Amino acid sequence: MNVQFKKGVLELCVLTLTAWEDRYGYELAVSISQKFEVAVGSVYPLLNRLTMEGYFSTYLRESPEGPPRKYYKLTPLGHSHLIALTVEWRTFAQAVDEIIKEGVER
Amino acid sequence: MIRQQYLQQLWELLSPVPEPIKRDWMYDYEEHFRIATESGRSEEEVAAELGDPRQIAKELLLGYRVEQAADKNGSITHVSRAVLAAVSLGFFNLIFVLGPYIALLAILVAFYTVSFALCVVALGAIYESIWGTDLTYLQGSSLAAVLMGLGILAGIGTHRLARGVARMTLNYLKFNSKMITRGNKK
Repeated sequence: MNVQFKKGVLELCVLTLTAWEDRYGYELAVSISQKFEVAVGSVYPLLNRLTMEGYFSTYLRESPEGPPRKYYKLTPLGHSHLIALTVEWRTFAQAVDEIIKEGVER
Repeated sequence: MIRQQYLQQLWELLSPVPEPIKRDWMYDYEEHFRIATESGRSEEEVAAELGDPRQIAKELLLGYRVEQAADKNGSITHVSRAVLAAVSLGFFNLIFVLGPYIALLAILVAFYTVSFALCVVALGAIYESIWGTDLTYLQGSSLAAVLMGLGILAGIGTHRLARGVARMTLNYLKFNSKMITRGNKK
């Protein structure tokens, strides 16, 4: 898949994965790169950017296996951003779907 | 040690960033190395999947510069740094980002110069009406008032325009930094 394209939806994916529970970076990076091929390294700069923009807050939590892990928590601002992005994505996906259908099933 | 080298290089590349922020960012990469190697993967493999530290540093720096410029309410120095960070990422064509940005700066400088010149001419009119022969005192002072007014208005207008340019540039950079590509995994 086109890299540019994936990069755009990466933000939505990261926000969605943290909607119900806080996650640590490794977890996010791995679960996304398993679903679709994206450079693991590009997830962290994205997480940091979203944190700087106020969509995430971070904290350290003890882990049973070794040193504490850095968790990402969605802020209220992040939540509304997630909702806005989801709506945007739905509209976009629907429109593309319709165009494909019209194009193929003519 | 590949891990040590990788983290050391990233740390050095992030030197423009204050230490607390840098530590916070580094934690992610240290953690990634730790968990990945604990689950049995080699350091080479982990370094490869993370990608070139130079690339990561550039992405992080761009995000930082843009945020900082936005925090400083679009000061020209900070916006310029953000623009340079974007250009150094290499995904922005020099012509498409730096070119128009410099052109806009030049226009702003020209406007500021005009407003300054109007004020200078106003002072000239006062001088002329007092010591010169061409203008009466009334003519000189009213001309000076008009010119000074125009000059101040032009200055205020340009100041607003500069703010607008800064805001626009930042939004453009923000928009673009969301879709920066990375070539190490297609």
